[in-house]
Amino acid sequence: MNSQIFHPFVLPFVLGMAFVLTYCVVGLLRVIGQLSKDDRKKFWRSLVTPKTAWANIRDIVGDCLFHVKIWKRNPVLGYMHTAIAFGWFMIIVIGHIMLFTLKPLEGVDVEGFPRMFTNFYYPIFFKYFAEETPVFAFLMDFFLLMIISGILIAVVKKIHSKIVGVKRIMHFGFADNMIRFALWTIFPFRLIAEKTNIMAFWWLYSIDLFVFMFMLPFTRYMHIPTEALFILLRHAGLKPREPRKGYALAQIYSCPSCGLCIDACPMSVNDKNSGNTSAYFMKRLRNGDKEESQRIAETCMQCGKCVAVCPVSIESCDIKMSQREAVPYAINSDHSYLDAYESNETSNASVLYFAGCMTQLTPKIMRAMKQIMEAAGEKYEFMDKDGGVCCGRPMLLSGKTVEAQAMMAKNTELIKKSGAKRLVLSCPICYKVFKEEYQLEGIEILHHTQYIDELIKQGKLKVDKNGTNYVYHDPCELGRAFGVYDEPREVIESIGNLRKAKSEKELSICCGGSLGSFKLTQQERDEITANSVNDLMYNNPDEIVTACPLCLKTFARKAPVAVKDIAEVVATNLI
Amino acid sequence: MKENILIIGGGAAGMEAATQLHKMGLNPIIVEKSEALGGHIAQWDRLFPAFHPAKDVVEQMLDNVKDIKTYLNTEVTDIQRNNDGFHAVLSNNETIDAKAVILATGFDVFKAERKQEYGYGIYNNVITSVELEEFFRTGKDERINHPKKIGFVHCVGARDVKVCNTYCSKVCCTTALKQACEIKEVFPDAEVYTFYMDLRMFGLGYEDLYLKSQKDFDVKCVRGRVCEVSEDMDGKIVIKAEDTLFGKPLKMTLDLLVLMCSMEKNKSIDAIQQKLGIANNSDGFMQNKDMYLGMNDTAQEGVFVAGACTAPKSLPDTIGEARSVAVEVYNYLNK
Repeated sequence: MNSQIFHPFVLPFVLGMAFVLTYCVVGLLRVIGQLSKDDRKKFWRSLVTPKTAWANIRDIVGDCLFHVKIWKRNPVLGYMHTAIAFGWFMIIVIGHIMLFTLKPLEGVDVEGFPRMFTNFYYPIFFKYFAEETPVFAFLMDFFLLMIISGILIAVVKKIHSKIVGVKRIMHFGFADNMIRFALWTIFPFRLIAEKTNIMAFWWLYSIDLFVFMFMLPFTRYMHIPTEALFILLRHAGLKPREPRKGYALAQIYSCPSCGLCIDACPMSVNDKNSGNTSAYFMKRLRNGDKEESQRIAETCMQCGKCVAVCPVSIESCDIKMSQREAVPYAINSDHSYLDAYESNETSNASVLYFAGCMTQLTPKIMRAMKQIMEAAGEKYEFMDKDGGVCCGRPMLLSGKTVEAQAMMAKNTELIKKSGAKRLVLSCPICYKVFKEEYQLEGIEILHHTQYIDELIKQGKLKVDKNGTNYVYHDPCELGRAFGVYDEPREVIESIGNLRKAKSEKELSICCGGSLGSFKLTQQERDEITANSVNDLMYNNPDEIVTACPLCLKTFARKAPVAVKDIAEVVATNLI
Repeated sequence: MKENILIIGGGAAGMEAATQLHKMGLNPIIVEKSEALGGHIAQWDRLFPAFHPAKDVVEQMLDNVKDIKTYLNTEVTDIQRNNDGFHAVLSNNETIDAKAVILATGFDVFKAERKQEYGYGIYNNVITSVELEEFFRTGKDERINHPKKIGFVHCVGARDVKVCNTYCSKVCCTTALKQACEIKEVFPDAEVYTFYMDLRMFGLGYEDLYLKSQKDFDVKCVRGRVCEVSEDMDGKIVIKAEDTLFGKPLKMTLDLLVLMCSMEKNKSIDAIQQKLGIANNSDGFMQNKDMYLGMNDTAQEGVFVAGACTAPKSLPDTIGEARSVAVEVYNYLNK
């Protein structure tokens, strides 16, 4: 005989639910408590600012509910995830709406039959307690079957991931495997329980729910409750300051360990290195494995491709940077040489060109830039003609912010004194730091690809069109970092034919020469370079064109065709 | 009928091996891709350590091979093994049947443009060691115009992971000091600097050459790599380097910079090498059977190697190997 309002089998579910809710509330307070005062203020303000509030709603619906980003990346995985997550969400929502329409089972007293949320397990086990109306019955069965279809895809992915277009998947430990097993069985148990009403399955269903919710905080499924919070914090414009606190903590728990970044990571070209990818980094951080997370943070090349493909937009590169900053190492920087640099106050140049260390090592680019600026009749000045001060990015990359600032201050002083209104850089590594870290109000900062594109469009530069087939490599710190994809392509198209690489724009593969990594061996870098070159040679171009002196040097060692900087290509084709 | 031995490459190794095989009563045939025998050594002015004219050695070698069948401007385009040995097709469509093949294909000079930071091909006053030798031989190079200050950079394309060559090129240290002395002879009032990582003066008379460069020619050796080269307003070369003995960075303005280019594997033979089934070693040169007793043997029976095709070698090393390969081939045929 069914009781109308209670049966002991609901207890495991109730316990699990109570546990996970408590954990989430405590966690939420912890994350917000760990934010710095300024960050917290920013966060509260962002919640009431219409623009960010709208972005919050848009992304929470789009990402947490409909998983738009996964659909874009891989439709099969998009369906898999939506079927399970959205299906489950709908079952819960419809279950609650249904509370108002449920009829008591035949021959049972109507008194005490819940109409409100007093017995919150009701929507979960309603079939045991009540009868539903046909429309709702259909909807509930429909979404339940949708979930099970998603689970079937997940099982296939686990057994043979290539069928769903994924080469490498994450390898998990005991807890993650167990909770996954619980998740996979919850819905089949529910289906059997509802259709057969066998008591054992109602128990199994409830225990499965308990296992899932009890283990949730200790596994990757914590991303379910955390992602929404992460979206709010991200839109508030915060930056991770400590690798395991506050904003970073929210990101750590939001990483679903889906492993999409494993295939994307340039290091994965060697399977041995797929453990150095962001998915594993986030997992190590969550487990509090300081040694390993430090090692991975120092191995990463900071190319940003994992961030570009991440369906949750985890800013793993920034977290790795904060991890680097967290470890102090003894270094005595001597900045006394900085005093020796004086600016030419007499110059009346309107364009200041800063070559930077890497372009100093590739003098062809400097020479080409000189030719281009002469041809365009620009009033220019080479800022570091006789050697200059480093832009500071290598120091920043090693987590030495204070040391970097000494150099940045000197450069800022030199640039401001020069009186120039535009600063042109041919090295994306410099470009990134000048754009992001320097305070140069009133001075326009341009990468030479943008500058040359502008000169051509203004008619100041005339180039000859020839039949050469070029392929363009997007440097990480120009493309993914700033979205400068079109200007270089337009410049190249005005000179020759632009062939496509296999992976382009935000999916472009790092050249392997990145300054970001401290730990990769030359051999490992060579493997990455070879892979990237293969990708560029996909459509048999005559020449590889890039816009970064470091990419240029790296490719030149491995490429079967000539590798040139975009400035060289333009300079040799000037009319 | 005499047995044919196909020798690919008519440089020092090829000529010397042919000479010895000829004396043994065999019939060596030299196939040389360029228009003359002699290889790199024929482009050289004087030899270290005693400034011996290279011409004397080359002329002697040419005289030794004057009765030997030689193809110039010719390459081997195809080669196959048959029951009798090898069947080779040449670029002039002739064919050769040979009992054994000797690969004496030597080396390529490292292309200095690949080390763009040294500015070769960009700045007028940066030249290679090969071009300087050419200047000594012919006295002609308009870039060399009474330089007052001259620098030599060792290990260009050698011991350098960044260009994928981790090996030592063996002869450049001694060559650099030889050339430093010679240029001082031509321009006695010039200051000459060499920038080295180690000075590897390993052979008979080499250390004496070093002492001579210090005592008689006042060559200044600076331990440290040049990292960056640029040009100043007057077209002079400005280098940045580190003096690792003082532990200080240095900057110097020079009138002429000479890059001591390393040896690299001669890649024009790759297709034939692959057909013969010979792999490369970790330095990218040809793999011989072992470095002690099988230095002329390869993984393939009947295919032999001699000279700088297996590793950078000096001229005496090469001649020694050329003679030993002749013995190996002789023994192989009389097995």
